[in-house]
Amino acid sequence: MSILAYNGGCVVAMRGKDCVAIATDHRFGVQAQTIDTDFEKVHQVAPKMFLGLVGLQTDILTVRERLAFRKKLYEIRENREMTPKVFSSMLSNFLYERRFGPYFIEPVIAGLDPKTSEPFICNMDLIGCPNVPDDFVVAGTCGEQLYGMCETLWKPDLEPDQLFEVISQSMINAFDRDAISGWGASVYIIEKDKITVKKLKTRMD
Amino acid sequence: MATERYSFSLTTFSPSGKLVQIEYALAAVAAGASSVGILASNGVVIATENKPKSTLYEEGTIHRVEMVAEHIGMVYSGMGPDYRLLVRNARKLAQNYFLTYKEPIPVVQLVQRVANLMQEYTQSGGVRPFGVSLLICGWDHQEERPYLFQCDPSGSYFAWKATAMGKNAVNGKTFLEKRYSDDLELDDAIYNAIKTLKESFEGKMTANHIEVGICDKTGFKRLDTATINDHLANI
Amino acid sequence: MALQEICGLSDAPYMKSRTHFLKSTEEEMKNSTSNIENCYSLSAPPFENPMQNLNAIQQHGEKSGIKIDFDHGTTTLGFKYQGGVLLAVDSRATGGQFIGSQSMKKIVEINDYMLGTLAGGAADCVYWDRVLTQECRLHELRNKERISVAAASKIMANIAHEFKGMGLSMGMMLAGYDKRGPGLYYVDNDAQRTPGNVFSVGSGSIYAFGVLDSGYRWDLTDEEAQELGRRAIYHATFRDAYSGGIVRVYQVTKDGWINISNTDCMELHYKYAEEKK
Repeated sequence: MSILAYNGGCVVAMRGKDCVAIATDHRFGVQAQTIDTDFEKVHQVAPKMFLGLVGLQTDILTVRERLAFRKKLYEIRENREMTPKVFSSMLSNFLYERRFGPYFIEPVIAGLDPKTSEPFICNMDLIGCPNVPDDFVVAGTCGEQLYGMCETLWKPDLEPDQLFEVISQSMINAFDRDAISGWGASVYIIEKDKITVKKLKTRMD
Repeated sequence: MATERYSFSLTTFSPSGKLVQIEYALAAVAAGASSVGILASNGVVIATENKPKSTLYEEGTIHRVEMVAEHIGMVYSGMGPDYRLLVRNARKLAQNYFLTYKEPIPVVQLVQRVANLMQEYTQSGGVRPFGVSLLICGWDHQEERPYLFQCDPSGSYFAWKATAMGKNAVNGKTFLEKRYSDDLELDDAIYNAIKTLKESFEGKMTANHIEVGICDKTGFKRLDTATINDHLANI
Repeated sequence: MALQEICGLSDAPYMKSRTHFLKSTEEEMKNSTSNIENCYSLSAPPFENPMQNLNAIQQHGEKSGIKIDFDHGTTTLGFKYQGGVLLAVDSRATGGQFIGSQSMKKIVEINDYMLGTLAGGAADCVYWDRVLTQECRLHELRNKERISVAAASKIMANIAHEFKGMGLSMGMMLAGYDKRGPGLYYVDNDAQRTPGNVFSVGSGSIYAFGVLDSGYRWDLTDEEAQELGRRAIYHATFRDAYSGGIVRVYQVTKDGWINISNTDCMELHYKYAEEKK
């Protein structure tokens, strides 16, 4: 079994019209055993930027802390907020530093540019190859299922409430076909003037 | 002289609290060729004398105004070799920043990092401070405005609207104080920069004997002699 | 005729008699579909010494990634109590971490008085349960009485023994009612066969046992027994990634088996969560 699938879990992010959405499941397990159903893999790293990390839980925590460190250093040194674009470049460099002994994580970034409010989504492999599409990004143990769902449900220029519906359905139906993802889900809708967090009622098996 | 007892190691303070090596470095700067920088509303200009010591020199091979990045350039007063080392380092710093963040380095950031390097040479063993003061000019893409900075051998740095360094710096600054206004256009700034240089220029000023660099939102460039000649014609 | 022989025409298929033709087809049929005639006759693996070499191939598959990765993962349980035998199972079938089905029937209705549960390789369990069904019916026809649970489980154990070491994966319970009363047997691919009062089998069995053992008594009422089985399976589906779907509860009494309930795990989860408040 791949070490990336040791703890299970998945994250998906989507671009809408002047908004982005990012969703995560809640499971933290050790192989087949479900330990916790409150483990969110999406973290708010700036007022308008979220970072989703899936993979090995210990590395999720480490990467999160080390990124926060680098980001704070940048913001203090430059006295300005980090944009999602800069953040993903930094993350890419950070991951490649461990090219020959990587962190077993797959990151997803979703956010709005603090100045222009331009939507931004991005994901990477575990050694930092960035992928910045204009529709959706997925990561986790049910990545294939998520691609299938997103590919069918996503359309350009979705309004925030439509985007919520699309991302929720994509996530739930994807992880219902995966044994080690699920056990609850959270969706974050990021708009220019507000952020909405919703918890989804899902299967718990 | 009493101060000589404290000039062997630059990391030793004199009893009065001075690091005399740094003062000597500043003296080297003050003896160097003059350079000026002026901020305009839509750009920034830096200019310097580049008068050969002998008529046998091949002109236009060694430059004093250098580009650091697409949007940043610099000039100096003081010792040429020290300057070239700093240029090389500054370019590297700018590219390193771009590699990490995929974004051009903000001028302030570059200045800070270059100044930090210069400071290290005032506190390390076995080295001497740089014998140069730098004028670093550039365009800030975030704030959409130009910047002009001066960097000294001590590692201190300041942002200027207009300044002069090197020989005749005091006169130059007085001249600029009278001439400067906030709504200066880039062309006026070039005119004033050349004019300031001319104040202390010995002999006839030609396009081959000065260098001018300008920076606006399209980036930094060193003016060619033909363009400088056009400006000289206006004076 | 002699001319035909000389010309070699007698070998042509159109010169053959009808019986001869059927015989050769039959031969061919037998070779390619041997277990239609005899369900115990399975094709031997295409290498010698299958008992040893199959394992070697599987081990190599672990390394190379080319291995047989059939449906797995289950929670099943069964217990005897004063009212008969109760069986409860989940309905998830997984291949690796992929959920192949959420609505599998893991209780096989062998006849009106006997049920079998399946855990392990889905294909192994389903196939041999089908064979067992046939054997039980034949036993009934030959002896004019229903087979006992003990005898049925012995057939199963014999099958397991026949193929022991060949990589079969089964962990099943047989529950029924015969002249000795309620019967409950555990049989697995090692040919182990044990009668008992309380069993749980599958990847989620440890979680099911936790609930089952703390709530089990001989004198449970029917309702209590059903709820205990349901709860035990539900808790297993919650903790075990490879169990889930629908909780099916069956009961066997002297009148035969009855399907008590088939409840979606999601419904159960939110019902139990509500009760906890």
